[in-house]
Amino acid sequence: MGVTRPDVPGFNLATMTDAILVRRVLDGDTAAFTMLVDRHAAACTRFATRMLGNREDAEDATQETFLRAYRSLARYEERQTFRTWLFQILINRCRTAAVRRQRRHRMFLVDDTAIAAASVRPAVDAGDLRAELKRAIDALDPDQREAFLLKHVEQLSYDEMAAATGVGVSALKMRVKRACDRMQWMLRQGEASDVGT
Amino acid sequence: MSEPDDPRWLDEVAGELRREVTVRPAWRARLLDDVARAARPSARDMVDDPFGDDERALDNGPRRWSITVRPVAGLAAASLLVALGAGVMYMAMGSRSGANPSQRVAQVRSSTASPQLVSRAPAATDREVVRFELSAPRASHVALVGSFNEWNPVATPLSRDPASGKWVVSLRLPPGRHVYAFVVDGDVTADPSAPRAADDDFGSPSSVVLVSSPGT
Repeated sequence: MGVTRPDVPGFNLATMTDAILVRRVLDGDTAAFTMLVDRHAAACTRFATRMLGNREDAEDATQETFLRAYRSLARYEERQTFRTWLFQILINRCRTAAVRRQRRHRMFLVDDTAIAAASVRPAVDAGDLRAELKRAIDALDPDQREAFLLKHVEQLSYDEMAAATGVGVSALKMRVKRACDRMQWMLRQGEASDVGT
Repeated sequence: MSEPDDPRWLDEVAGELRREVTVRPAWRARLLDDVARAARPSARDMVDDPFGDDERALDNGPRRWSITVRPVAGLAAASLLVALGAGVMYMAMGSRSGANPSQRVAQVRSSTASPQLVSRAPAATDREVVRFELSAPRASHVALVGSFNEWNPVATPLSRDPASGKWVVSLRLPPGRHVYAFVVDGDVTADPSAPRAADDDFGSPSSVVLVSSPGT
């Protein structure tokens, strides 16, 4: 099948919508799937990295996501965007990875007292906003972190978030609000610690 | 960074978290290699549960489907089937008597807007000739993609009609619903003068043409 013919006028995978690329993959055009990977891999890796806290787990989750998406592409329905559908898979991969890791390391701290105790600043540059944010994000409850990242980082609408997470819109709004409140609290703690140092 | 009480803090936090995460070339290469080795997706074979947690989903083996029906759920399902059956019979009777306005409207629209049914094909082929046309005076290349040509942008180029200046092409299409779009100098666009596909609002610029069976 003539899938790599950029010399032919009108044939430009880069300008095709995701939905058309999906149709072409189902017709046997693997180059179209490469285009989908190139379009969405960075955002997926970013979300997974923020969710799981390290690059290695994030890449594993993202790789599994794309493989599952590829093999199940016939299930994709255009009533939702491909990105939302992909995130639906990615969210489940991240949840699974987090549960597996939680069994191993018990890394997520959801107890307020524990969080307060953990707010003692680690040995990083006091002005390092990234380290500060990572600490605040990691301290969120996983459900809240997930909702916060989808809303404010990946910029999904609440309807898209509901489709991707299987959680109702009102519950998602509450999670985002609580995440914002907790992030603010964590950052305030960091500033108070700055004053004290 | 703004104070956490400042409303701008959220924009700054989100902006920082939105920093692009680079995709490592080695990771990308490994993924594409795995994809190339994976079972090719098919519109007919659905052997995977992409959202499930079972590790078996990454295997290439066939999936066994089983349905467990509990008494109450079974009763509800039976009632639903009866209701659906009644609905289908009602729609069938309605369409015969012309009492299904939405379907009639769609068929009328498809035959009056572009694309147009221009002639009836021989009954043996059971296909209709449909003329697609697009006004794109500044375009240098226009192609037609759709469910009928596997969305191949090189399969069905349009040519410019010297009389009208429009880009045109005629195809023989089987009866049924066909989703299509134009590719204008590489950009996919819906047909501005035809009904839009129901899924168009979700990012796919597609149009719909309904081709009637000969004799209807």
